[in-house]
Amino acid sequence: MSTDTARVKVWDPFVRVFHWSLITLFAIAWWSGENHEMERHRQAGYAIFALVLFRVFWGFAGSRTARFATFLKGPGAVIAYVKAHDPEAPTDGHNPLGGWSVAVLLAAVLAITVAGLFAVDVDGIESGPLADWVSFDAGRMASEWHEGVFKAALTVIGLHILAIGYYQVLNAHDLIGPMITGKRDRAKGEITTDVTWSPVMALIGMAGVAALTWAVMGGFRFG
Amino acid sequence: MTRVKPMLLTAFAAALVAGGALASAASPAETIAARQANFKKMGGAMKALKDELGGGADKAKLLAAARTLAATARLQGGLFPAGTGPSSGVKTDALPAIWTQKPVFDAAAGKLVAEADKLAGIAGSGNTAAVLAQFKVVGGTCAACHRQFRAEE
Repeated sequence: MSTDTARVKVWDPFVRVFHWSLITLFAIAWWSGENHEMERHRQAGYAIFALVLFRVFWGFAGSRTARFATFLKGPGAVIAYVKAHDPEAPTDGHNPLGGWSVAVLLAAVLAITVAGLFAVDVDGIESGPLADWVSFDAGRMASEWHEGVFKAALTVIGLHILAIGYYQVLNAHDLIGPMITGKRDRAKGEITTDVTWSPVMALIGMAGVAALTWAVMGGFRFG
Repeated sequence: MTRVKPMLLTAFAAALVAGGALASAASPAETIAARQANFKKMGGAMKALKDELGGGADKAKLLAAARTLAATARLQGGLFPAGTGPSSGVKTDALPAIWTQKPVFDAAAGKLVAEADKLAGIAGSGNTAAVLAQFKVVGGTCAACHRQFRAEE
């Protein structure tokens, strides 16, 4: 697979670009929302919507470690992982516990974004692109969910960062580096292969996501 | 869409009566509920205007929403009698500044009424650009007043 036998590729470029773009856009959306810069807030929201949609698609069509079927394990596997936990042993992709934190975060960000599409502000002036499909009261409720799930997501993000800090700082187990370069050191005798992905699938996903995002931005009004 | 009768003097008289009656007879909780309900009607009318301006720009719908807005805006200033702030113990986003700076607040409420009347005056004209411009002016009065007098949640 790789000529460099000491390193193994565990994260495909889409997972990595998704991860760091999401952080940046989440920060922009947070800042612009707090400062009532609603045009910028909407734009950041559209980009987040597109990113998360692609990530969900990639969870079915992406590389080995990107797939939900690989990293979402049953409760038995999670408990077994926690019991036998060796913080220095590398996992191939998300560990059984971290995988669920990824799923929860993805679901939360998707829920925030979808609620935002229908949200209406208290004055009825600023709104998401799909708000004209719902009543003022429904739009206000969407706005409350938008904020409520956002606050819940901040807690999950906090846990995510704490967990990374636990490995990174307390156990000298580098998780951040691989999320940047895609590669981590192979453990002694480990035979994990490099991840591979299909450019055709990536193109299909990007085209589908672009079309859907474009339709949402225009409020599903054509012509 | 026929519930609004834009008889300005009648509406003004009704507002005075309603405001006076609420101030004297209603409990703070009732007054706060009434003004929140009225704010919701204003928000709904603003949303209806925005939806039309961004979509079909139907003249009759724009006019109906603008008249609802003008009528509800007229009632709103009278729904802030003394004793209906946060100190009443009822949950409200109304800041004490409304009562400590009453003349400033009343001027802002008056500005909303004047701008909403202007909007109602042109909403049925078919000049979408002008309606949109005046809609933004009205929205500006909402936002300016909220910045000063409404608690951020």
